[in-house]
Amino acid sequence: MSATLRIIALRIGQALATAAILASLCFIFVHALPGDLALRIAAARVGDERVTPETADRIRREEGLDRPLIVQYGQWMGNLAQGNLGHSLLSGKPVTQELAYHASFTLQLGLIGWLLSYLIALPLGITAGFRPGGVVDRITDALAVTLASLPTFLVGIGLITLFALTLRWLPPAGFRTGAHMVLPALTLALSLVAFSIPVIRNAVVEVRSAFFMTYARVKGLTPAAAFRHHGVRNAAIPVVTYAALQFAFVIDGFVVIETLFNYPGLGELLVKALIARDVPVIMGAGLIIGFAFAVVSLLADLMRLWLDPRGLEEARA
Amino acid sequence: MSLVLEPVRARSLPPSVWPMAALACLALTGPFLAPQDPNAQDLMRVMEAPSITHLLGTDHVGRDILSRVLAGAPHSLGLAVLCVALASCVGVALGLIAANGGAFIGALIMRLADLMLAFPGLLLALLFAGFLGGGIWPLLIGLNLALWPQYARMTEAVATGVLREGHVEAARLAGFSESTILTRHVLPPVLRAVMPLATLGVGQAIMSISALGFLGLGLKPPTPEWGAMINELLPFLAEGFVQMAAPCVMIFLSVLTLTLAGRALASNSTGRAQ
Repeated sequence: MSATLRIIALRIGQALATAAILASLCFIFVHALPGDLALRIAAARVGDERVTPETADRIRREEGLDRPLIVQYGQWMGNLAQGNLGHSLLSGKPVTQELAYHASFTLQLGLIGWLLSYLIALPLGITAGFRPGGVVDRITDALAVTLASLPTFLVGIGLITLFALTLRWLPPAGFRTGAHMVLPALTLALSLVAFSIPVIRNAVVEVRSAFFMTYARVKGLTPAAAFRHHGVRNAAIPVVTYAALQFAFVIDGFVVIETLFNYPGLGELLVKALIARDVPVIMGAGLIIGFAFAVVSLLADLMRLWLDPRGLEEARA
Repeated sequence: MSLVLEPVRARSLPPSVWPMAALACLALTGPFLAPQDPNAQDLMRVMEAPSITHLLGTDHVGRDILSRVLAGAPHSLGLAVLCVALASCVGVALGLIAANGGAFIGALIMRLADLMLAFPGLLLALLFAGFLGGGIWPLLIGLNLALWPQYARMTEAVATGVLREGHVEAARLAGFSESTILTRHVLPPVLRAVMPLATLGVGQAIMSISALGFLGLGLKPPTPEWGAMINELLPFLAEGFVQMAAPCVMIFLSVLTLTLAGRALASNSTGRAQ
């Protein structure tokens, strides 16, 4: 058990280091920006035309921007460690509150899209893997290559054109009802499927050609039973590893998907903040996305250890 | 050089070379092929359907779509190639240093690569582009930060393997210098492994650049970059299907070409496609 704990501790340390580096990067970015930071904050608070040097000076004193950089850096990291991310320059609300609101939408979309992608990819990938070079294999391969060559926003635009503008079955954008969820989730699922089908197919092909599978067949199990009892768990190892990597695609994907569908998630928040230069929100969103990425890869590592305890022996050695 | 010339001499060019050549031509000559000024507006003829004067129609401010798509090729394709070329050079160089240098430097570079891989790729480019206000440089730097670790890892893995082999030891005993060994014995297998990765990488870079353009965080308008064009045309999707389809199809075909070429290269070097 101690090996598992060590791996967990290592990965949590890694996640914290990632977050600390992201936070430092954000700090550097903000202070490397051309122009006076206090003036920019003042402009965001009272409007561009009503900014006076006095308001800028007041804000400089309030926010401690007149202190040495190293002191400001220490304060910024200290505030972060206490979970205080500051206030949005646009809405004036605490960043944590904004993040929590938007994160719940992203989580919904991400989970539904992810599950949907495996609902599509697992049957196709396994069928393809059972007969490499067969009809299903060739069709799914062509499908995967096509989808992999389509940027997420093209998939989304295609789906909007087909289902919302031509057939008029679904609303093109927004988030009020369940129907609004279908197209974004499907877009996410399709862009994930492109990469998970080949991984699943290859895992199945690999396992089916293993010695223990031949033995299971020799001992008299049907192909299906042999796969169920001996194949699934072994084939699952690379698939689970890959599923975590895919979270990176989910992140790349949902920034684009949420913007396209006007869906109020973290990605949309981040893009809006980037365009409006709402610095505290950008930092908060960047931090939370980076941290979520680290947490998911930790979960995937644990899942892999559970599936394949041989990794533990290696960690112990 | 032999890496490129050998298949040419042996007449064993993969079929994917021809579409690649077409893409390269397009990226180099696109702006000169444009029949009209890609940025010339004509507010009397907005969102016009395809006609003889405007083969692919016009956009929301009356610019010729065909001209914009052609003029956008160097931005969308050329920038992607530049990005991957830079990232692979940096990655290969750092990978070679990591494999060949001391244990401390090696560990330092590889841990740094691991750390960079822990960030989702588009996020870095997004933050860079967003903070630095769009344009070519933030895009290049951001994408490069995200891209170099894969090349460094691949290079380090291949180079460490090769350096342990007998013929390298023989070369060392024969008195060849470290740099001769690196360029003659280590670099060729490294490049053979990196080539397919880089080819696929250009496709990925095209997608990332167009995604940033689509988000309004890439190259600044009125640059006719394909992703930015899609962003501008999105509100008019219902009226201008052909206009929207033009940059979409270009992105798709470019990425598809590079994906297929990358797969062909990978199966050539390993004997079997993934």
